[in-house]
Amino acid sequence: MDIRGLLLANSENMEEKGQAEAPLATLDVAGKSTLQRMAERLQQYGISSVSAVVETAAPSGVRNFGLPSDVTCLAAAPDRFWRIAESVFNDMAQSGAELVILVRLGAYAEADFEKLVQFHLDRKERVTQMASDEQKLEIFCISASRRNDAASLFRTQLAHCRSECPLFQHEGYLNRLASPRHLRQFAIDILTRQAQTCPAGKEIRPGVWTAPGAMIEKGARILAPAFIGSMARVRSGAVITRCSSVERHAEVDCGTVIENSTVLPFSYVGAGLDLAHSVAGMGRIVNLHRDVTVTIVDPKLVASVSVASGRRLMTSAAEIVTYLPRLAFHGMFASAKSGQPDLQATLRQTPPALGTAAGFETSACDTEASHKFPNMVVARRYGHQ
Amino acid sequence: MDINSRPVVVKRMPERLNSRTAREFLRDVRPFLAADRPQLVFDLSLVAQIDAAGVEMLLRCMSEAHKRDGDVKLASLSDQAAVVLELTRTERLFEIYETSTEAARSFSGFLPNAMRQQLLHNKRSATQPTAA
Repeated sequence: MDIRGLLLANSENMEEKGQAEAPLATLDVAGKSTLQRMAERLQQYGISSVSAVVETAAPSGVRNFGLPSDVTCLAAAPDRFWRIAESVFNDMAQSGAELVILVRLGAYAEADFEKLVQFHLDRKERVTQMASDEQKLEIFCISASRRNDAASLFRTQLAHCRSECPLFQHEGYLNRLASPRHLRQFAIDILTRQAQTCPAGKEIRPGVWTAPGAMIEKGARILAPAFIGSMARVRSGAVITRCSSVERHAEVDCGTVIENSTVLPFSYVGAGLDLAHSVAGMGRIVNLHRDVTVTIVDPKLVASVSVASGRRLMTSAAEIVTYLPRLAFHGMFASAKSGQPDLQATLRQTPPALGTAAGFETSACDTEASHKFPNMVVARRYGHQ
Repeated sequence: MDINSRPVVVKRMPERLNSRTAREFLRDVRPFLAADRPQLVFDLSLVAQIDAAGVEMLLRCMSEAHKRDGDVKLASLSDQAAVVLELTRTERLFEIYETSTEAARSFSGFLPNAMRQQLLHNKRSATQPTAA
């Protein structure tokens, strides 16, 4: 039987529109986007011919979005998204498909496609929809010959079908993925193995996954469960803990603590910061405790790394070339330092990102105990350490 | 002894706190910081954007106030300001209050008992009608 898969990813479902330029389904979570994970899941069920239509602000055309090479992917402008989706479905029907599994992301559901198809065939239905309890999911099994039913679905943006759709009950893992909170929860579920899908990397220590090319500098601490994406960089003294995920090409600078947070791909988090319960990237921080999105204009705190590899290479080259002159300049003009660094003084410092205020002595460390026992330091503890 | 002689200065911070506005703000509050034991409350309710220079300025104000045995307290933090202060680990350095009034009141909250009783006594004597 010729069964094909059609994946749709657009941003209409997002609770906070404008949160990200791309649909949430295309954002990496523990190394792979939901789109990639769903395409792989369909292929695991033997549906080898999978197509994807992804909404982008850029002109329409064929783009990859990190999908496997055998998945056809079309980028569509928002106003043409549903028309393109319908034409892809029609092409599938014309080329001999008997059934089409239509998935709109949206929600990530670890659906049992085999049971869905069996249910659809047993009942001889035109369109079958998946549901979890009372909530309808945007996962359909459509008989490809029923083009009018499919057309009615596409033209109402999957809201209505001209014929009655029986509901097939989903029993596996489900994440609505409608907001950054869900994105964060998805990362936690992947890292704690609540979902069947795995982090896209190698488990270097129990609960710590790193993707190829991840750079963890000496002195950085990665406490399980955590994920470091490909070509991501965790600099010395940084701490990554409590189900945190640093996605591909992201950079966490020296001494920064990432706790229960996601650093989105191509993002930079400055030195000496404390990012907790947040999703950071694209010049924004979504704080999940406060339920607020903050635009960060200061590149010393949070910035975007260029997506273009050439530009990234140029920046790195410039950094290397200017390293020695900067050191020499610093050596000539900086004030002489005292020989032995004082641990208490070091602990009292505020983040280097704050510039000259870094030398400010914090009253938070001036506890009664620290006066009584000058050699004792109180360090914040993370995880099992 | 007049314990009400030191005023609490409440300053509302601008909507955008970048290096330029931070410099201007610092210039505005510098006379108050130069006073003996300055007591300042910064109202951050309007702050929609704050960068490292803004946080640095807050720390500088605090440092200046501490040098003169005074204090700077923050009040009515906007979500944006709270997130940035949390991110830069500076929220733990300041006393933060829900409202400016609470912050201003807190300056008298730590008076030694003897001074507080005297303050109460002064208030009572001011409200009681004098006998004819």
